[in-house]
Amino acid sequence: MQLEKFTYDNRLPKWFAYATIFWGFVGMLIGLLAALQLAFPVFNFSEYFPHLAFGRLRPVHTNAVIFAFVGNGIFTAVYYSMPRLLKTPMWSEKLGRIHFWGWQLIIVAAAVTLLMGFTQAKEYAEIEWPIDIAITIIWVLFGVNMFGTILTRRERHLYVAIWFFIGSWVTVALLHVVNAAVIPVGLFKSYSWYAGVQDALVQWWYGHNAVAFFLTTPYLGLMYYFLPKAANRPIYSYRLSIVHFWSLIFLYIWAGPHHLLYTAVPEWAQSLGTVFSIMLLLPSWGGMLNGLFTLRGAWDKVRVDPILKFFVVGVTCYGMSTFEGPMMSLKNVNAISHYSDWTIAHVHIGALGWNGFMTFGMLYWLIPKLFNTTLFSRKLASTHFWIGTLGIIIYAIPLYFSAFRSYFMMKSFTPEGQLEYQFMDIVNTVLPYYMLRALGGLLYLSGVVLMIYNVYRTTKQDEFVETEEMEAAPLPKVYHAPKNAFWHSVIERKPIVLLTLSLIVVSIGGIVELIPTYLVKSNIPTISSVKPYTPLELQGRDIYIREGCYNCHSQQIRPFRYEVARYGEYSKAGEFVYDHPFQWGSKRTGPDLARIGGKYPDSWHFYHMLDPSSMAEGSIMPPYPFLFEDDLNIATTRSKIHAMRKMGVPYPFNYEDIANDDLKKQAVSIVANLKTADIEIEPSKEIIAVIAYLQRMGRDIKAQN
Amino acid sequence: MDSNAIKLDAQCYHCGDICLGHPIHFDEKDFCCEGCKTVYSILNKSDLCEYYDLNAAPGASQRKRYRKDKFEFLELAEVQQKLIQYKDADQTHLIFYLPQMHCSSCLWLLENIHHVNSSILSSRVNFGKKEIFISFDNSKATLRSVVETLADIGYEPHISLDQLDAKQTLGTNRTRWYKIGVAGFCLSNISMMSFSEYLIGGGTLEPELALAFKVLSIALAIPTLFYSGSEFFVSAWGGLKHRYLNIDAPVALALAMTFIRSLYEIFSGTGSGYLDSMAGIIFFMLIGRWLQDRTYQAVSFDRDFKSFFPIAVNVIKDGKSIPVTVDKLRPDDVFQIHHQEIIPVDAILSKGNALIDYSFVSGESAPVNVSKGEIVYAGGKQTDGKLELIVVKEVSQSYLTNLWNKEIDQSKPALEHNLIDTISTYFTYVVFAIGILAGGYWYWQGETTLMWNAMTTILIVACPCALLLSSNFTNGNILRIFSINKFYLRSPEVIEKMAKISHIVFDKTGTLTQHRKSKITYQGQILNREEQEHLANILSQANHPATRAICDYLEISEAHEVKNYKLTEGQGVEAWIDEYYYKLGSPAFVGKTFVNLSGSQVCISKDGEFKGVFQVSNVYRFGIFDLIQKLNHKFKLSVISGDNDSEAAVLNNFFSNKESILFHQKPQDKMDYIQHLQSNVTDKVMMIGDGLNDAGALLQSDIGIAVTDSDNTFTPASDGIIDANKLAILDKFLLFAKDGYRIIGVSFLISIIYNVIGIYFAVQGILSPFIAAILMPSSSISIVLITYGMSEWMAKYRGLKLTNTQKEPTV
Amino acid sequence: MSVMIIILIMSIAIAGGFLVAFLWSVKDGQYDDDFSPAQRAIFDDKTKIKTKTNSNI
Repeated sequence: MQLEKFTYDNRLPKWFAYATIFWGFVGMLIGLLAALQLAFPVFNFSEYFPHLAFGRLRPVHTNAVIFAFVGNGIFTAVYYSMPRLLKTPMWSEKLGRIHFWGWQLIIVAAAVTLLMGFTQAKEYAEIEWPIDIAITIIWVLFGVNMFGTILTRRERHLYVAIWFFIGSWVTVALLHVVNAAVIPVGLFKSYSWYAGVQDALVQWWYGHNAVAFFLTTPYLGLMYYFLPKAANRPIYSYRLSIVHFWSLIFLYIWAGPHHLLYTAVPEWAQSLGTVFSIMLLLPSWGGMLNGLFTLRGAWDKVRVDPILKFFVVGVTCYGMSTFEGPMMSLKNVNAISHYSDWTIAHVHIGALGWNGFMTFGMLYWLIPKLFNTTLFSRKLASTHFWIGTLGIIIYAIPLYFSAFRSYFMMKSFTPEGQLEYQFMDIVNTVLPYYMLRALGGLLYLSGVVLMIYNVYRTTKQDEFVETEEMEAAPLPKVYHAPKNAFWHSVIERKPIVLLTLSLIVVSIGGIVELIPTYLVKSNIPTISSVKPYTPLELQGRDIYIREGCYNCHSQQIRPFRYEVARYGEYSKAGEFVYDHPFQWGSKRTGPDLARIGGKYPDSWHFYHMLDPSSMAEGSIMPPYPFLFEDDLNIATTRSKIHAMRKMGVPYPFNYEDIANDDLKKQAVSIVANLKTADIEIEPSKEIIAVIAYLQRMGRDIKAQN
Repeated sequence: MDSNAIKLDAQCYHCGDICLGHPIHFDEKDFCCEGCKTVYSILNKSDLCEYYDLNAAPGASQRKRYRKDKFEFLELAEVQQKLIQYKDADQTHLIFYLPQMHCSSCLWLLENIHHVNSSILSSRVNFGKKEIFISFDNSKATLRSVVETLADIGYEPHISLDQLDAKQTLGTNRTRWYKIGVAGFCLSNISMMSFSEYLIGGGTLEPELALAFKVLSIALAIPTLFYSGSEFFVSAWGGLKHRYLNIDAPVALALAMTFIRSLYEIFSGTGSGYLDSMAGIIFFMLIGRWLQDRTYQAVSFDRDFKSFFPIAVNVIKDGKSIPVTVDKLRPDDVFQIHHQEIIPVDAILSKGNALIDYSFVSGESAPVNVSKGEIVYAGGKQTDGKLELIVVKEVSQSYLTNLWNKEIDQSKPALEHNLIDTISTYFTYVVFAIGILAGGYWYWQGETTLMWNAMTTILIVACPCALLLSSNFTNGNILRIFSINKFYLRSPEVIEKMAKISHIVFDKTGTLTQHRKSKITYQGQILNREEQEHLANILSQANHPATRAICDYLEISEAHEVKNYKLTEGQGVEAWIDEYYYKLGSPAFVGKTFVNLSGSQVCISKDGEFKGVFQVSNVYRFGIFDLIQKLNHKFKLSVISGDNDSEAAVLNNFFSNKESILFHQKPQDKMDYIQHLQSNVTDKVMMIGDGLNDAGALLQSDIGIAVTDSDNTFTPASDGIIDANKLAILDKFLLFAKDGYRIIGVSFLISIIYNVIGIYFAVQGILSPFIAAILMPSSSISIVLITYGMSEWMAKYRGLKLTNTQKEPTV
Repeated sequence: MSVMIIILIMSIAIAGGFLVAFLWSVKDGQYDDDFSPAQRAIFDDKTKIKTKTNSNI
């Protein structure tokens, strides 16, 4: 037996690093554009390409930043740190390549389809089912490569960073599969298995854990590897890091429902979310302190080293947002923050501060290593740091102001008990803040540009180190013994493990049985007056989804006096039983629409969609002229109705066959109605369907009262 | 001496020691000795100098290099077969204990050792245990060559007899971790489900969901109780078998009650049970126990004398010397002992200059001269050159072994029940009383259902877990803080005993004084360089500890011819050198008398003219006398020394209100003295010693604390081990132990309050699971925080170190 | 909230999986030594780089 020679491959880390930079730039650029659209509606360029309005851009921004920027950042960290921590090359270079190109392809496809309006309309899970499947495949390949590497390792101990990577991989895989459960009704159209409240629960169970296991835990792994490396001192307390991982992993999974406080979700589920979110504070801060204490006694280094500066601020932001999060999950705080700009500020503290700065820190440390040189300009990096920090501040602070001001305006009543402010007043008040936010974004982005230049010059300084040769002994045989005999020996020795395993098996078996029965069962309406959507309304709803209206308009009225007064009766769980997917939204840039039906005449909607400001002075909503030109595609009606019935929506048997007749009838009636307001339009246009849907919203309950 | 002061600045690049005399220059670096230089050059050759970058001067001093044939015995089959962990056709696995391991440099070097010796395939360090695992290639290396490689780079493994007798096991006890893991997992999931029920607010759970919750929480509760919680039942049962209620009895009772009651409620549909509280209790208590029972892997509290012995010696058989393991030595075997080696068996000196240091066995600090034909006792350490000896008794019968075995027979007075157990007994009775009263009351009221409710819930809330937690966490944290301050206790019980100590007994040599170090002062006319050289040359001939000490002090290398050297036993020496006549020795010898001088003197007369006197006395540990001052009025103090009374004056000075200061104490005497002190029942005695000669006393005393010098990691069996440099703050440790006692008291009161609240609800039979679920964690957590906070605060107040420096972890 | 049951089971399944992972890591002695791993992580490998000679520090 001999020392084994092997090589670390630096190409994949380099590619992923470049991809991180590229997509980071793109994603943030789109973010900036979206911010500008909110501040200055002209940036919707409605005359030139009306399709690229905020509603379609925002998902591109969120997905690009989360899955393209941060995603590639994660892979950079994994593909660089894992081989070195485990003293072995990645298990398969080919898989690595497939992973890389596959992922980039997915990103491109996602961007294109989202811009084309193919969306599931669930935040951070908008991408349609074919791409979802692609993601699953690539993710699995990545997992195979990762676990292959772990199994062929030459270092017995799995460093805590690797635990974080494993945890992230497993959980993300499962979340993705559960949340992406859909019934396709076309190549790029599908309906969520779950309806209304249930869909909301799953979505935010996913939504929160996506934040937890895609934006947080992998980056904690990154922190635990790159922060000590950059500071060249061991992590403050390794024991603490272990506790950090296990406690986080056992708590995080439950925090989801805090995104649904005061919604139609049952109270206990909401409170549950709160309880666990608050428990999360401890492990999170444990991790943060562990990161900061690592630099204890090295602050002189921090003062001169931009890399450490990035890490310090990054970790601090992690601490801030993990403190802010639980606070926001307290009901009374959430009453203010939910649907408001506070949420936006909160996530950007995390995204810009934690993810962004940790990534920059890593890149500034890694790129020179890969080129066996030193950073082209520390000064430039420092400038980047300061511009970035300034950017975060200018981005976040105004949004906090906007959140509070709009909250107080929302809830203020005149002595006569009338709402004091119209929604439009509020929009006008917060516009300046939106402008500042855009400025913050601009600063942050220009910092990134500096980094791109700096990185470029660094790579030109010296030759790229493709591979590093390494030699180490394989794991000694005796240590293999427990591992090989693991399942067998543990099961016979530890009955408890056997019990746990069987528990898991049972649960998985249970799922298979439960899903169909329960989902169908639970779709039986609890409010008799709630009826399925008519074919035209259904089509209209799909256009509503396509244009991403949910990005600015909620459909979920909370039981507060000021909301009921403004939007009408608060929402009940029973109302949404036919909503595949739910459209509650999470942010009110525009007013809530849950009870919009019948509030205005069809003509109002007609003009409003054509030119919002004509109906609402100073509206920042983009116009949708193409709805008035494009014909509604009614070929899809049949399959849509069919799918709906499959999921328990009580359309009469064989209704597919006559659905389009009903559709046309309703369209004609709406056209007739518009005529009374001297509006001429053919019933085949998409706008008709949209109006039909808008006018339907919240009607059922009204009918009942 | 000034000339010394100048040399001070030169620090050894390898070990950081001050280079006495003239430092060796090599590669623009200073080295204190050839050994250090050698190590450096080896590392330099193998391109491993990062070793010196990670930490400055990370090495251990290499003044005493091993002699080339030292590890010959590793070729003996029986030795190998005992040391080797695993062996197959092509590779061999070993595990060694490396006492020198102390920092990240060590770790780095030892795991890159294959760059030094390419036949080593892999090496892996367990820092906590100071162990290294090595696998090497049979075809290229042997056990011996590997050990020599380690020794070459300054990490000579400690291979000892006891290690041979029982091959140490790698596996540490992990069951507690399994239990904690399982409990934690079940707790988080059970509480998730039960919270949902408490938080149900307006709506109600759908039946199928409620059912799922119940089934799952029971499924999760079973492993929690029967696996994680098992140890409480076991120990409770153990107590009961000896007709004695320990703390676990009420705990176990409460757990059982909670579980049964919960099952009943769930199945009868009358409620949702207290499963979450149960899981919580178990989880928190396991954590508490873990904190308290942390063991220091690298500190061994019960070493026996064998671990100090060489494993094998070279026996001379018909002309050539062959290695033989010590246990194989038979009477009349002739064997060799080298400089700084311990004599393993009683033997007769046949060849060589024997200057035996018995300090470890007898406490006598001055090495004794043994002339040929005299007997040398096992345990003595040769401080001069090579010896040849003839075995008298085998190791199993030698003086030391007997001495040891005698001491081992002394079994400690049975451990009296500690505070917690005593309390818990009353606690249990009170609880039962309340339970019966409440039950009786409701029965009298005719409310039979309420009666059962009350009685069971009382038993549930009255679980003394908070009380148990308070002691566990306090002790755990105190142990932690102690260990950070380099004071390691064998078990948490010792803390409680420390708080009760009334009488402290010190050993002198190596405890109050530093090991084999002497203070040398000179009074008289200044000696010029030449005279110093003369003295050095003459004194180097005399084999007396004092004269050797002076030689070292003078640091003379120049040689002068010494003529007509004449030694008058016990008096002094006279000699001619460079036409000068010198007389060196006791005052009487040079015709002088001194008063009030402690220690031993060497007077000098040159050509009949009195020049001056060298005074050789013990060096007391830094700050030791301040310590004595502090202890004087709080404790009764004694000193028992195996040494002569040369230091009596000094000691009498400082131990103002001492009980007694005894000299010439044989190990047996020391033990007897302790026994005598203990005969006064109210006195609890703490013995502080270092040598094997104190072993008996350490065992006999209520608490035996062994002092360890950084360079000597081996200590006799004891209840605690204290780093020599920390002995000076012993008073702080004692005070802090007392504080811990109080902290437990306080938190106990708090836990009582919680119990009272709980019982208040319970007696009325209206304790809802919700209240229980709030009461349980809030009590547990607040107790944890309070004990932790208070102990940290008190430690700060007492001036103890609270955090570790990055480099040196607590073992 | 029947879907809660799915989420519930899923979550417990994940947690259970992690529990097994935890038990394994303890059994494998992953946490026997909590000093060395942190140190090892920051040691630079003694690698030989093709293009340039020395990658240390």
